[in-house]
Amino acid sequence: MMKRDFPALLLYTFGFLLLWEWLRPVGQLTETGNIGTFIVFMLFSFALSFLQMKWVWQGIVKVLFILFSINRFYYDVGFFQFSWLKSFAKDLVNNISLLFARQWNDLSNEFRTLLFFILLWLMVYLIHYWLLNRQRIFIFFFMTLVYITVLDTFTLYSANAAIVRTVVIGFAVMGMLTYYRITRKEKVNSTPTFLRKWMVPLAGMIAVSVLIGIASPKAAPIWPDPVPYFTAAKDNGGDGKGGISRIGYGSNDERLGGPFIGDNNPVFTVKANGKNYWKVETKDVYTGKGWIPSGSTPITFMEGYLTPVYGIPNKVKTINESATVSFINNSISNTFLVYPAGIQKILQVEPQVPQPYTFQFDSTKEKITAVSNGISNYRVEFGTPKYKALDLKETTGFDPSTMSPEFHQRYTQLPDGLPPRIKELTEEITAGKDNWFDKAREVERYFGNTEYTYDQKKVALPGEQDDYVDQFLFDTKQGYCDNFSTSMAVMLRTIGIPTRWIKGFTGGDFMEYSGDEQAKGIYQITNNNAHSWVEVFLPNQGWIPFEPTKGFTNEINIDYTTGQTSSNNQTPPPAPVKKPQQKDLEETSKPKSEAKFFDLNKLWNNIQLFLKNNWLLIMLVIVLLAGMAGILYRIRGKWFPFVLMVRYRFRKKDESFGAAYLVLLEQLDRFGIKRKENQTLRSYASYIDSFYSTREMTRLTHLYEQYIYHQQLPKGTWKESYKLWENLIKRTIA
Amino acid sequence: MSYEQMNPTIEKILANIEKVMIGKRNVAELSLVALLAGGHVLLEDVPGVGKTMMVRALAKSVNAGFRRIQFTPDLLPSDVTGVSIYNPKEMEFQFRPGPLMGNIILADEINRTSPKTQSALLEGMEEASITIDGVTHRLNKPFFVMATQNPIEYEGTYPLPEAQLDRFLLKMKMGYPDLDEEIEVLNRAQKMPPIEDLHPVIDLEGLLSLQEEIKEVFVDQTIKRYIVDIVNRTRTHGSVYLGASPRGSIALMKAAQAYSYMYGRDYVLPDDIQYLAPFVLSHRIILKSEAKFEGISAEEVVNRVVARVPVPVRRLVK
Repeated sequence: MMKRDFPALLLYTFGFLLLWEWLRPVGQLTETGNIGTFIVFMLFSFALSFLQMKWVWQGIVKVLFILFSINRFYYDVGFFQFSWLKSFAKDLVNNISLLFARQWNDLSNEFRTLLFFILLWLMVYLIHYWLLNRQRIFIFFFMTLVYITVLDTFTLYSANAAIVRTVVIGFAVMGMLTYYRITRKEKVNSTPTFLRKWMVPLAGMIAVSVLIGIASPKAAPIWPDPVPYFTAAKDNGGDGKGGISRIGYGSNDERLGGPFIGDNNPVFTVKANGKNYWKVETKDVYTGKGWIPSGSTPITFMEGYLTPVYGIPNKVKTINESATVSFINNSISNTFLVYPAGIQKILQVEPQVPQPYTFQFDSTKEKITAVSNGISNYRVEFGTPKYKALDLKETTGFDPSTMSPEFHQRYTQLPDGLPPRIKELTEEITAGKDNWFDKAREVERYFGNTEYTYDQKKVALPGEQDDYVDQFLFDTKQGYCDNFSTSMAVMLRTIGIPTRWIKGFTGGDFMEYSGDEQAKGIYQITNNNAHSWVEVFLPNQGWIPFEPTKGFTNEINIDYTTGQTSSNNQTPPPAPVKKPQQKDLEETSKPKSEAKFFDLNKLWNNIQLFLKNNWLLIMLVIVLLAGMAGILYRIRGKWFPFVLMVRYRFRKKDESFGAAYLVLLEQLDRFGIKRKENQTLRSYASYIDSFYSTREMTRLTHLYEQYIYHQQLPKGTWKESYKLWENLIKRTIA
Repeated sequence: MSYEQMNPTIEKILANIEKVMIGKRNVAELSLVALLAGGHVLLEDVPGVGKTMMVRALAKSVNAGFRRIQFTPDLLPSDVTGVSIYNPKEMEFQFRPGPLMGNIILADEINRTSPKTQSALLEGMEEASITIDGVTHRLNKPFFVMATQNPIEYEGTYPLPEAQLDRFLLKMKMGYPDLDEEIEVLNRAQKMPPIEDLHPVIDLEGLLSLQEEIKEVFVDQTIKRYIVDIVNRTRTHGSVYLGASPRGSIALMKAAQAYSYMYGRDYVLPDDIQYLAPFVLSHRIILKSEAKFEGISAEEVVNRVVARVPVPVRRLVK
């Protein structure tokens, strides 16, 4: 048993935190609204145990706490009106008989709560026992890790932080326990010095390993997310829990490619006047393997206000429309919201709460997330643009007066080492077209030719040396939306046309008529509808969507009538008051933050890219160097003496003698004739001499004895003895 | 130790002793070390192995007066130190010196006499003077005591107190001669004991000047540190109840100086310390009773301590 001192308190705290990790997902994944009570109970049990209250009193206090909690949860009468106890006792008896009848589904909530309390009680006792009596916690720690990772994989619970917390706590506990176990076993008095010597390196090692763990790049999952696979196999329709397919959002797009498994679990339904593409986010940096966002610039906005999404320029005519989105699973609204191009407002968010909802918008990724979870429905107002063909064809090249060079640079970014044949191909395709829109159209159409096929299964994952786009365009020529959209975006970038990559959903399937005149149809969007496409930026028209993927269409309204372009048409539409403001916001906030972080970001990106592209080479070089160093170290007995001989040959001063003798001792040690610590030089020397059957070592040692024990050395000693020394060194090589 | 030449004088003395003593060169050497370092020797051995012979040979070689005191239970301090007797002719007390007033003294079976008498001897050894009736008499120089005690627990013995054991520079055992040596002893015993034929090698003046020279033998800081390390370890060793005192460190250094000198060196080596440590330290430590029950001897403990202390092979970093 340990004393109840500060370290014990620390251990208890860690134990509490570890157990808390078990409760956190419970609160998130179940309907339990009272998880706080259980945590308080746990804290309370640990405290009682730490204070070493007598077990009888502990039991009484805990039972009272449990009864009080159950009373508060399930009974409206006051705790001291004991009538409720009667009904609780009856309930208890009923439930116990149910238990024996193995009708677990019929157990009442009160009884379940009671069981949960008892479980927690047991767990607290067990942890106390492991920590203070056994002084071992590994099994529990390991089980915690398994629990968290399983939940992370199969549920919506995100264990990114939990895993870090658990590892830190677990290592700390195990380190401390090892220390106490050793001191107890060896019967050492634990002094502050010992403690410091142990705990400081422990803390250091935990910190370093956690930092390395966080900083090191993590490989994308080799297997597709198993959940959709399982749920699809079960064909468990309406559930849709965690239904994020591989091509969806949320997972990163740093490495595109490879097959994916279809998942027709619905994600949301839409009530609207027609099909629309639903955007989730955009990415702007192509790495050669996939897409990453160039940064993150979050802005918040409120329900009912104009959304800060980059709008359609005023000169483009829009038709106002609205649609209602209903999530199948309302727990994903803080992961993303879907919205159509030309979004203006988000309204009528349900479930209704007194305060309007707050949303977060990342203007780099153009991604909207709700700050709070649990949104089930919302309506979006958006303007469907009607473009004029002449306006679209106006832009023929980059003009700094209509587009800032930073902006242009950002959206024509390409990785170093992009194969030049992509550009050559693009130039070949777009030859004869003078404006950006026509060029983009040509590229879009190019994918329509029979060489390219749509496939979800036989899709290559680019190797270390391959470029994702290059591989698709010239080698494999089969793939799904990511291949097509990425290729188009990259191809246009090679000829200086700004593009970005959009992720979201296609319009889904028509389900039924709604009977609502404003929004006639109901559409269901499943995980299979996850999609990616391209947007091309035209300075006077904004971002124009393109659909290069075979078999998909996302036609935009284009008025092909000849005549005046809208830019000549000087009548500006009565602009809403807030629109210019919104533009200002975009234009002022963006360049500022960009100017500030541009260089650093770029440098960091370059470093990351370099590491990412060359990590195999870097690893190889490191391994090679380490291997060579290891081999050199192993055979140092063979080559090091030569270095020594060269080093000492030209020394003239007698002072070198002392150093040389010590070097000889080390060399003999390496050779395998080790001097024992308590062996005098003289007896060691005679041993060496008997080993080599000479007298050299004794003669040399005799001189060294004078040098060290008499502090004097006859003049010319080194000159005389160098030969002896060299002979001995040579013997160690033979 | 073959690499060095022994000091010629010492070599001659040892040769002298070997004429009458068969084997036992190491005992002769160690006795000589004690004599040269100005210390005393405690021999722990049974009677009849040649202690007297050796001491007499030693005395004869340095041309010193030899006295022998056979300690018995009824021996009085004055029998050791001497006594003042009233001389009626001169009408005054006259000091008649006891056997302690010689140069080389064999104190046989020292643990058979009463502590009072023991302490009279031991005080003389430490102070190099004795006080009788308020008059202090300086003892002769050089002054060398070789005491013997019986290792076996005889009835009626008074074991020497630890504090007094400390006064001896070295403690050693003589041991029986080996087979060949004992046969040789028999051969010699048929003739007259040749002890009377020994010629002195040096006189007392020479011996004193040797003692002075020995004080000049160089002891490097590393060696001093090594000595202190060893002595310190005896204080923390698990089997030891009381470790060696700083006097033990001094004794080890002095003995090492004498030993180095004997081997013709004017500086001390760790080898000297290693060799001498058991003889110098083993009677200065008190073992725990558990250790005694386990049959561990003090010599063994000292040897283990020496085996644990690293030998200095580098100069001290200043």
